[in-house]
Amino acid sequence: MAEIILKNVTKEYENGFQAVKNINLEIKDNEFVILVGPSGCGKSTTLRMIAGLEDISDGDLYLDGKRINDVSPQDRDIAMVFQNYALYPHMTVYQNIAYSLKIKKVPKDEIDKRVKDVAASLGLENLLDRRPGQLSGGQKQRVAMGRAIIRHPKAFLMDEPLSNLDAKLRGQMRVEIADLYRRLNTTFIYVTHDQTEAMTLGTKIVVMKDGEIMQIDNPTNLFNYPNNKFVAGFIGTPTMNFFEGEIEEKGDGLILKTRDGFIPLTAEKAAKVREGGWVGKKVTAGIRPEHVELSDQDSAAFRGEVSVFELLGSNAIIYTQCQDDRIIMNTDQTQYQEHGKEIFLKVKEAKLHLFDPETERTITN
Amino acid sequence: MNTRYSDNRALPVRILSILGKVLILGTASIFTAFPFIWMMVSALKTKADILNTEIFFPTVPQWSNITSIIFDSPIPRYIFNSAWVSAVIVALQIVSGAMLAYALVFLKFRTNKMLFAIVMATYMLPVAATYIPSYIILADWKMLDSFRGLIISSTVSIFGIFLLRQGFMQIPKGLVEAARMDGASHWRALWEVVCPMTKASFITFGLMNFISTYNNYMWPSLITKSSEYFLVSQGLRAFFIRDGAYGTEWALVMAASAVVVIPLLVLFAFTQKWFINGIGGETGIKG
Repeated sequence: MAEIILKNVTKEYENGFQAVKNINLEIKDNEFVILVGPSGCGKSTTLRMIAGLEDISDGDLYLDGKRINDVSPQDRDIAMVFQNYALYPHMTVYQNIAYSLKIKKVPKDEIDKRVKDVAASLGLENLLDRRPGQLSGGQKQRVAMGRAIIRHPKAFLMDEPLSNLDAKLRGQMRVEIADLYRRLNTTFIYVTHDQTEAMTLGTKIVVMKDGEIMQIDNPTNLFNYPNNKFVAGFIGTPTMNFFEGEIEEKGDGLILKTRDGFIPLTAEKAAKVREGGWVGKKVTAGIRPEHVELSDQDSAAFRGEVSVFELLGSNAIIYTQCQDDRIIMNTDQTQYQEHGKEIFLKVKEAKLHLFDPETERTITN
Repeated sequence: MNTRYSDNRALPVRILSILGKVLILGTASIFTAFPFIWMMVSALKTKADILNTEIFFPTVPQWSNITSIIFDSPIPRYIFNSAWVSAVIVALQIVSGAMLAYALVFLKFRTNKMLFAIVMATYMLPVAATYIPSYIILADWKMLDSFRGLIISSTVSIFGIFLLRQGFMQIPKGLVEAARMDGASHWRALWEVVCPMTKASFITFGLMNFISTYNNYMWPSLITKSSEYFLVSQGLRAFFIRDGAYGTEWALVMAASAVVVIPLLVLFAFTQKWFINGIGGETGIKG
């Protein structure tokens, strides 16, 4: 159980490259925090700085109120699960799990009891005598977790722990990690580039890009109220549709004029647009694929040809090639559309997001 | 062996190719092994047999040559000196070499690459060039003509540092990081995680340096003059020219040489598997 605070933390390498730029992050006790972002965004570096495996170039790192910038990893009482598991190949599963306790000089009987408890909770009882080379990916993953949880550390760090597993196993392990979090009741910091993992596991998600934090929020808010175009595009599958449009007056209200039609703005959105002085200006609009619908020609915002119809089971994805944009629609499986057919699309106005085309910051969600 | 399945050449060509290999390797083996075999058979000959070039094997094996070397000569004493001095030196070289190699591979510090370059540069230096400064240092420390001097002057092996570094580089850094996260100090990570995974490099290093220290002649003969501190090579030479009998007791000289080699052969027999692995660069790490 631990509270971790990063204050103006920067990581700069010898060649001058800044992997992490002046980030501030407060991780409360018992939170499950996810650091998510595309590769090279600095999420793993941030995690490694918390672990003590990377030096902090500038700023402060606090663990339970104590500055730990210069505390070596072995003294931080933080456990970590690595992407490639990093199991000791010359030790058995038992020895791998017991290693940290052996270092702490815990009595043998207690080590034995704790290893067996952990093994039982992770379904590893029959594998204790095996070496890592004889285990499958999922089993290695469990051993790596066992090695971390046996210590009762202040916090768990996980660096893309599921990325080496196949899709099915990944789903299964995701559930197990969520379950583990509930049982252990401690702080988790989890790095992933997979936004599904982020959305399903985290209580707090930190979206990063180019070494900077783009937004810190809970999964629902991130999805519904992104701070900027990057977050809007990164969170959600399939990704949000973006297109250009111009704000115009129409009657009492405002509309977003698109190439093939228009989208009326709700009163609430219109107020924000007016407030920001966007009337008559170009904006970037975003709409999630599940908020796009088939329509008739009169109320359509887009007109285009079906390029791909992807049946995913209960739902289907339709990719429509419009003149300038490609609009993705997430619909149910009954809406089959033939390749090349001309269709008209409209959007749910209340779900429209508008962004400043220059700064990419959100105008209204 | 795979050639049996993959070789599509005509049969005569294949036979010629195999014959060629056998011939080359056989000749090389004979040239390498012959002096050794000659020494071994000569150790069991009489002096007259040795000087008779027409007989290769002893007419009657003279086992007394061997027993007299073991029981009535100072050779066992020299073997003992060589063995324990070499063991201590190798142990120190392993500790110092492993620590430096670990730092070079797993620690991040500014002068890392430069340090390695400097270490390797000293390897390029002819050993003889270091004799005089080393001698002066030992003289200043009053360590000439002593086991201490022999040991202290050989505590670091550049070859060993290089060999271990290459071995350590095969280990994923994540393993050392995992050990650090598990609460291990660098010292523990080195001996409990890195060392067991690079056993072959350690054994190769230990064995090669043990043999070279055991057989070392030039440096020990420069700094020791009392026979109680002699290592085997020096001892053999002293035995060779004993009582002004230079070259007269060939059978005993051969027997002494044979006895001196036996500990190394035994050592090699036990560590051969690892030795070949270490030289071949395979560290025995499997995912």
